[in-house]
Amino acid sequence: MKRFFGMSLTLALLVGFLVLLSAGFYWAAAGLGWGFNALSISFGWNPPGTVSTAAVSYGAAVGNLLTLMMVVLMISGSMLTVAERKWSALLQNRIGANRITVGGNPLGGIPYLLADALKMLTKEAAAPDVRNRLLFELAPVLAFAPVFCLFAIVPVGPAVDLGNFFGVAAAGKSVSLQVAQIDAGLLYLFAIASLSVYGTSLAGWASNNKLALLGGVRAASQMISYEVSMGVSLVGTMMAYRTLRLEEMVVAQGAPVLGGFPALGLLLQPIGFLIFFTSGFAETKRAPFDLPEGESEIVGYFIEYSGMKFGMMFLAEFLEIAVFAGVITAIFLGGWHPLVFEETLRQNLQPIWFAAVCGGAFLVKMILLMWLQLVIRWLLPRFRYDQVQKLCWKILLPASLVNVFVTGAAILIDPSLQLLAWIGLGTIIVIGVLVGASGRQAAATDGHAAHGAAHAGGH
Amino acid sequence: MSTEVKEVLKQVGGPRSSELDAPLSSKRMLVNLGPSHPAMHGTARAVVELEGENIASCKLDIGFLHRGFEKSCESVTWTQVFPYTDRLNYVSSIMNNVGFALAVEKLCKLEVPERAQYLRTITSEIHRICDHLTLVGALGLELGAMTVFLYAIEGRDLLWDRLTELCGARLTSNYARIGGVSRDVPEGWIEKTETTLDRVVLLRDEIDGLLARNRIFYDRTRGVGTVSRADAIDLGFTGPCLRASGEAYDLRKAAPYLVYDRLDFDIPVGSNGDTYDRYLIRIEEMKQSDKMLRQCFRDMAPGELVVRDFRYVLPPKPEVYGTIEGVMAHFKLIMEGIQVPAGEVYGYTEAANGELGFYLVSDGSGRPYKIGLRAPGWPMLAALPIILHGALLSDLVPVFDSINMIGGEVEQ
Repeated sequence: MKRFFGMSLTLALLVGFLVLLSAGFYWAAAGLGWGFNALSISFGWNPPGTVSTAAVSYGAAVGNLLTLMMVVLMISGSMLTVAERKWSALLQNRIGANRITVGGNPLGGIPYLLADALKMLTKEAAAPDVRNRLLFELAPVLAFAPVFCLFAIVPVGPAVDLGNFFGVAAAGKSVSLQVAQIDAGLLYLFAIASLSVYGTSLAGWASNNKLALLGGVRAASQMISYEVSMGVSLVGTMMAYRTLRLEEMVVAQGAPVLGGFPALGLLLQPIGFLIFFTSGFAETKRAPFDLPEGESEIVGYFIEYSGMKFGMMFLAEFLEIAVFAGVITAIFLGGWHPLVFEETLRQNLQPIWFAAVCGGAFLVKMILLMWLQLVIRWLLPRFRYDQVQKLCWKILLPASLVNVFVTGAAILIDPSLQLLAWIGLGTIIVIGVLVGASGRQAAATDGHAAHGAAHAGGH
Repeated sequence: MSTEVKEVLKQVGGPRSSELDAPLSSKRMLVNLGPSHPAMHGTARAVVELEGENIASCKLDIGFLHRGFEKSCESVTWTQVFPYTDRLNYVSSIMNNVGFALAVEKLCKLEVPERAQYLRTITSEIHRICDHLTLVGALGLELGAMTVFLYAIEGRDLLWDRLTELCGARLTSNYARIGGVSRDVPEGWIEKTETTLDRVVLLRDEIDGLLARNRIFYDRTRGVGTVSRADAIDLGFTGPCLRASGEAYDLRKAAPYLVYDRLDFDIPVGSNGDTYDRYLIRIEEMKQSDKMLRQCFRDMAPGELVVRDFRYVLPPKPEVYGTIEGVMAHFKLIMEGIQVPAGEVYGYTEAANGELGFYLVSDGSGRPYKIGLRAPGWPMLAALPIILHGALLSDLVPVFDSINMIGGEVEQ
């Protein structure tokens, strides 16, 4: 009981911390937006006393670049390396990393973050002589950079009027926790997401190592498998919310359907969610889709990399988890909508604090999704590459095409999304029943023929 | 297309539709897996020729763990062979002890006291569970499910702790002696072991829950590395791999030794002979071993631990210090070793991986004249290139794992 209270308290503190953090992010974005405006006035680009939209949005973008990409993404990426150790330890009845202590306290393994970084940076960067030098050096960068770019379109918090920060003088312009609000939205997502495979493939190719080459080829074959279904799986959401922009999708998810329930992507597009989650998992190249690594077979595409070059590929994987969690949150889990007490919060809090709570809600959802990904990674065995191809081409792609068709028909018949929501609800129930039923059946029917025969055999 | 062009094409044998279907000529790639490779148990090397990711041919290169077991045994006394046998299958060392002791006793025509037989059975079956847990865990690990491996290792180490309490060593536990066992179980050991077994049952069921009904695991192992019943017999398979192929042959039933004829247990038999069946057989055998252990605990009665024959067994210390016969027997046994009657014998037991055979030749002196070992893993390992022909590289690992090659026993 004591433990339960302790854990609840810790969780509450964590949520409070995240809310404060996002309030800080808002101030940073607003401050820089205001500062850029002041600069632009001092250069004489816009008359004194006015607020330039361009200056504010550039300033806010720079602020978000620093806070969201450097703080949120980098910290969650590097914390995930520790979380992977500790959470997997929880799963496996172990204690996990606790040898580095600060004043006798292991601090939940967090000091390992520094130790690991230091180790990676000071390690000898051994590289094979026969490598293709340019590509070999380029590959870690190509694995790392696109992941960062992806986070640019993730809307962490809602737009807040600048007037709330700096009085009436600045009213009319808004800042939000999103680096870039671009029209292409999801298309940008697909374009950049598929770039990261170049890092993997080139690393495999340029290492001039047979095992690494196999890893690189597997990465490429996996990419062409999941990429199609990944793209098609989101077409349904594009149609339902009538936009490609992630921030507009999030706003649209606040609209009530089915008598007041928010129109979450998960509710409207359960099939799309499952397919996108699976394909996205393949994108992160982690178990059960860790074929390019396949540590027990081919050791991995990064077999020839050492030091920070390996570290970047390693970190890129974790960053992908964080980005992927952010994207799913935005598209399927209602983004920054707190979902509970939303109206009460909106009415009783100042706009800045309401936005901060929303930002906190986004981060909480993101952490939950990252946790889910780690749990899946530690429980499932690895696919074989032909099985991934079969899964993607024969199951996911047809399913996502059917999903597009059904979604389109439902929206055509009932543009208010009610029908789509009912269909989604039905799908969720059917999937739940199927999963429950197959979980029980398996023991009795197929797959355990050998078990049955086992008892018959005897003497 | 003008008729002239068609004519020309006909003459030069222009494009034919069948050429589109012709296989692309590709180069084969030679990949070395091992000797240091995450999936190579112990130290073994597989030289794999790949066509894409398909295995065109696979050559196994073993010998990295070769210690000259058979030859080394010739220069030590019969008793001193025991530590060497610990290192054959080091995951289940007491089974090797017992196998060797039974072979020597066959030559000496010794009848071991009942309690010693029970204790040998108990330790063997505990080690069978250890061996199977290791295999099942490693199978998970090599398919990427590391959690399964850690559950298995937790169970295995708990059992090893019990064996440590029994014989002082965790890994190379040395318990059997010619004529009996080295010592009795400590106070309260049986209750403690039953508690441990309860925990192992939980862990085993958890592992089975994570793997057996897991679609990915099922797809990765079902129909992979299939060996038909006839092939398995031809290739000399024994143990779980043979039973997975459908042949209900188990030495514990076919030629009962120790107290196996008094125990109630079944022999699980598979039907497909693939990796999945080999996994299921292991899980099922662990259940049977658990059952046997509890029967043994119930039925075991107090009694002698070794035969009272000082030609084979050291006399108790009061007799060594108090009587001239005791001193003489002790001196002779230590200095010259057990005088095993001249002759030859083949002793065989059902070890965790299959038939563990010791072929012993004695010339009547205190040392073995010749020892030959039939390692259970050897025929399965030798068959690997045949099983793997045409499989994918990714299949090599689970198949290699499911035959459970243990470097220590294969490379004698």
